[in-house]
Amino acid sequence: MEPLTLDMILVMSMIGLAIFLFIVEWVRVDVVAILMMVALPLLHLVTPKEAFVGLSSNAVVSIIAVIIIGAGLDRTGMINKLVAPVLRIAGESSSRIIIAISLTVAIISSFMQNIGAAALFLPAIQRISKMQKIPLSRLLMPIGFSAILGGTITLVGCSPLILLNDLLAPFNLEPFGLFDVTPIGLALVASGIACFVLLGRFILPQGDDKEVGQADPDQPEPGGDLTEFYELKTPDDFIDYRDPVFVEDLRRRYLLNVVAITEPPDYHVTSPQPDMEVRSGIELVVCGQKKDVLRMVSVEGMHLKDDLETYKESLSAQTAGSVEAVVAPRSPFAGKSLKDINFQDRFRVTPLSVYRQEETYRAKIDDLVIQVGDVVNLHGTWKRLMALQKEGGLLFSLPTDLEEMRPEKALWAGFWLTTALVMIMGFKIQLSVSLMTGALGMILTQVLTIDEAYQSVDWRTIFLLAGLIPLGIATQKTGAAAWIAHTILNIVGDVSPIALLTVIGILSTLFTLVISNVGATVLLVPLVVNMALAAHVDPRMAALVVGLATSNSFMLPTHQVNALYMGPGHYRTVDFIKAGALVSVVFLVVMIAMISLVYGV
Amino acid sequence: MSIITISRGSYSMGKTVAEEVAKKLNYEVISREVLLDACNRFNVPEIKLESAIHDAPGILERYRHSKQSYIAYIRSALVERVVGGNVVYHGLAGHLLLKGLPNVLKVRITADLERRISIVVERDKISPVEAGKLILEDDKQRRKWTHSLYGEDPRDTSLYDLSICIDKLSIQDAVDFICQAAGAKGVQPTERSKQKVKDMAVACRVKADLVDEFPNIGVTSEYGNVLIYTKDKDTTAGKLSRQLNKIRENISGINHLETHGGIEFPSDAV
Repeated sequence: MEPLTLDMILVMSMIGLAIFLFIVEWVRVDVVAILMMVALPLLHLVTPKEAFVGLSSNAVVSIIAVIIIGAGLDRTGMINKLVAPVLRIAGESSSRIIIAISLTVAIISSFMQNIGAAALFLPAIQRISKMQKIPLSRLLMPIGFSAILGGTITLVGCSPLILLNDLLAPFNLEPFGLFDVTPIGLALVASGIACFVLLGRFILPQGDDKEVGQADPDQPEPGGDLTEFYELKTPDDFIDYRDPVFVEDLRRRYLLNVVAITEPPDYHVTSPQPDMEVRSGIELVVCGQKKDVLRMVSVEGMHLKDDLETYKESLSAQTAGSVEAVVAPRSPFAGKSLKDINFQDRFRVTPLSVYRQEETYRAKIDDLVIQVGDVVNLHGTWKRLMALQKEGGLLFSLPTDLEEMRPEKALWAGFWLTTALVMIMGFKIQLSVSLMTGALGMILTQVLTIDEAYQSVDWRTIFLLAGLIPLGIATQKTGAAAWIAHTILNIVGDVSPIALLTVIGILSTLFTLVISNVGATVLLVPLVVNMALAAHVDPRMAALVVGLATSNSFMLPTHQVNALYMGPGHYRTVDFIKAGALVSVVFLVVMIAMISLVYGV
Repeated sequence: MSIITISRGSYSMGKTVAEEVAKKLNYEVISREVLLDACNRFNVPEIKLESAIHDAPGILERYRHSKQSYIAYIRSALVERVVGGNVVYHGLAGHLLLKGLPNVLKVRITADLERRISIVVERDKISPVEAGKLILEDDKQRRKWTHSLYGEDPRDTSLYDLSICIDKLSIQDAVDFICQAAGAKGVQPTERSKQKVKDMAVACRVKADLVDEFPNIGVTSEYGNVLIYTKDKDTTAGKLSRQLNKIRENISGINHLETHGGIEFPSDAV
């Protein structure tokens, strides 16, 4: 074994620093990656060229292409198209619906980023939940897990697998093919779905079976299903001898959202702005809890009507309604307060409440800074809500969604995806080139514009990948990976191949829970390949275990997909621990079993 | 219906001024009563409250948070006293304890050091040097106190609407000025300001009830809609929600109670 050198110590300290920063999150993960990109050449651990080689790597270019292809699929409205036939096949039973939707998501996710597939399906799942009256909490977790598991079906399904071939290159090991992992991936998806179908009632939080979307004034649904509307009339002397009362004041004082109000003499305003004054002798419609309405009626001397009268038409279910909008990953609204977003003015819709991590916020929501995964309950006319939906950044379903079809785009998108796959499989053209061809084809056939393509690329993912690749190179080049591998093997002694792969699987699972899956892959692959070489185990299998097991991120809502579904599903962390622990164990067992079955380790 | 707070350096004749102002305007004058109220309501010995409002927190107290609790009690008792308006409060930190209320006239009374020393010499029969030391030490403690709890220097005149030095101006002059200022439009109560005082009373009461177990919370109330802000969401959430039901029953004037976890406290949180 080589002696420990200064360079090795430096590399190990940089790894330690990276892991430390990943865990404490003083800076974002991608910034940590850029830090590595800059610090390693400064410390002379890699050459300047090696430091930036990640940016032009096969993996990074493939990810860019995959993201663009995903965005193209998104633009076609294909998801809405898929839902109807899938539901027809599934029928009425909720288990069959879960199986059908989970499988569809897994397959889509195998050619898209997991988070992209998860976000894409969320509105459709919300609609299914409403239509089939299945609580969202029963649907979202199995489907979210399937989106993550679906990433293991092909080599472009998730970032760790895309990276894998680049990480194997320095060892001169044979790269994996696009569908080499498919049998293992399919088995993992099947076992994941089976867990929920067979044991769902024990591991999933049991949402009550009452009609979803039905408001109960005393016991508001989490998520604030406060869709009770009351029409009131202000007295003729309402504004006499008093400070003016604004729409915003009613919300602050009585937690009632004014969704429609008459501006004298007879102008009907829906979703009025907060600074609109409430005048004498006019009608207004508020949304909120009955007790608050009664309080307002008695304090302000308003008259409560038995039913909607003036606004019966303009607020009928055909014209207006409320939606639970989930703040999408990379949404332009994230990080802004509701006051700054100003939904009432910009989109003419009224935010009613915000749901975040087991808590419904109704008071002072204007000051709340919106985060990804928050559920904002919005009310407005369908027309306005549709305009908001087109704006992007919020995920929700509308009754008109099913009619929105762009078949010609769907055909082109399907054609280019197939072309890319044929190039990879039929002509054995490199992954990045084939996928980029598919992405370019979608742009040329106007499935999406080039600007939309640029906007869809998530620079965070790109720099996270590209920045960590030099760290992998440095670990290998300085011999640090070999040194750690030998030291560990010396301590452990001789182990059987299966035991070694299992340990690697567990190690990768633990790493991916605390640091990102990309970080775990880059750090672990050089290490486990060296360990496998020393222990005379197939090094490609050891690397594959890392690539797969870094998707084994179910136990905590740290994975992007879990974080996105936590809010709308009203899950608690403990729900993820319960269901995730089972799925994680099953994942490890199935993965090792399949690897030994398929590759005969 | 206004509220006047008179902050004073020790032996600066602020008490006399406060009493004269109250007499002239026919207001109630309060000072120690607030401490007694707090003692009775929260079952704390008066001596502890007194030291809480006088001495700066020691190193240990930064961790024990007991001083914060006592101050929350005192604040709650004070705000409840001033809800009705027409009061003159003279005591330490009135202007800080009632921070955020719009119709409070904040007055600072100081006197030149010579004069303060002569008062102490006469009262305590000690030498002028000792008296000077005593006064300066007392001033230092108060500065430390306001600084450690509110990050302010009590000598900063921007904290007050009116700052009067009893030197060339007599006590009677000061009383006249204050009474005149109390009639100014800006300190007259409005519907909103009255509501604000009521809301602050509710918020302070909620904070006082919770501060022992949850020293790091902020509370706001707006028209009886009480918001409890916690810095860290996960550690306190469960324990807190159990307490909230009790609070709902015990404190009147709450229409709605909500916790906002992991969110920056607004500036008006108590």
